[in-house]
Amino acid sequence: MTEIVVISGKGGTGKTSIVASFSYLAGPKAVLADCDVDAADLHLLMQPDFNKGEDFYSGKRSKINPDVCNQCGRCVEICRFHAICATNSHYAVEPLDCEGCGYCSRVCPVNAVIMEDLQVGKWFISTTRLDSIMVHARLGIGTENSGKLVAQVKKEAKRIAEELNRDFVLVDGSPGIGCPVISSLAGSDFAVLITEPTLSGLHDLKRIIELVNQFHIPAGCIINKCDLNPQLSSEIEYLLNRRNISHIANISFDNVFTRAMVNGQTVFEIAHTNVQDILIESWKKIKRITKQKGK
Amino acid sequence: MKIAFTAEETGWDSQMDPRFGRTAYILIYDDVKDELAFIDNRENANAAHGAGPQTAQKLLEISPDILITGNGPGGNSAMLLKKINMKIYTGAGEFCVKEAYQAYQKGELKEF
Repeated sequence: MTEIVVISGKGGTGKTSIVASFSYLAGPKAVLADCDVDAADLHLLMQPDFNKGEDFYSGKRSKINPDVCNQCGRCVEICRFHAICATNSHYAVEPLDCEGCGYCSRVCPVNAVIMEDLQVGKWFISTTRLDSIMVHARLGIGTENSGKLVAQVKKEAKRIAEELNRDFVLVDGSPGIGCPVISSLAGSDFAVLITEPTLSGLHDLKRIIELVNQFHIPAGCIINKCDLNPQLSSEIEYLLNRRNISHIANISFDNVFTRAMVNGQTVFEIAHTNVQDILIESWKKIKRITKQKGK
Repeated sequence: MKIAFTAEETGWDSQMDPRFGRTAYILIYDDVKDELAFIDNRENANAAHGAGPQTAQKLLEISPDILITGNGPGGNSAMLLKKINMKIYTGAGEFCVKEAYQAYQKGELKEF
């Protein structure tokens, strides 16, 4: 079983559209893991059935027990998020402002502050409309993705792939290089970097290349919308060459991605364009590279 | 010499954990005494954020000579770990602990 993570550094480069395309090509052989939980959108294209769901807890939130509280006000003084408000000498935590640092519970002289586990959302195991299995999550209002949630989604996808003897785990990672991205990379076999020829595309690509190199994860890159700025595109190609990242493909700007998105479909289900041929070749190339690794 | 491993369980046959920050256990092998001890890291594995630096903190306390792991620590943890004189070897994520140790002895792992 091979685990392939699709990440981009910069958001909006076409990551999810390309993950959905690869999933269309791999069919049920690939278990999908949507780890871009902050702005999850793979479900819009894959229409999972939300078959099995489980609550997910991450981080803490403080709560004041009014029966124990002696209204000393120390928690209000030390809370740098101004999350504790006092009305008519009744102290309460404003849940959206609390960051869960726990300082209030530490200074409370009568132990009136309880740190509760925070339910941030739910995670699901679904079957998609294309008959593949997808592990994904939905966050509650005002909560955020975390390395822990990514680890959970990936672990579950991996377990299912092993149990059902599937060939791939295909991970839709989140943008950036922070905690959720590091968590989505850990233990994976290959990273597909999706970029675009813009200054921020190039800048964020450099950062993500540094990260995959640090983790010794082999990687390849697809330059999407490559004709938007040919000069920057060739600069990116030069960078890939120098940093030992395989250049998988260039895709010219094509509104087939938008049309597919509006229809809630993958680009393969829309009228034929050469984008499809490029993506078929790219998927073949990725399979070839990961096979060489001996897996 | 003390050698630390990131592992999913606590014995020599345990699968290595490719993760650094969210590893379930840290195993410590003392090759002079020929003793294998372990530290439960599951609380860090469940941290919402900052799992890496918290695991790094534990290693700072143990202060082993060598760490053998899968992908290696992320940026923040790597910066912390530079402060102790510990060598990090990566690429052992798919071995069991015993195989990882043998691979290290044969010089097959990459220095981080």
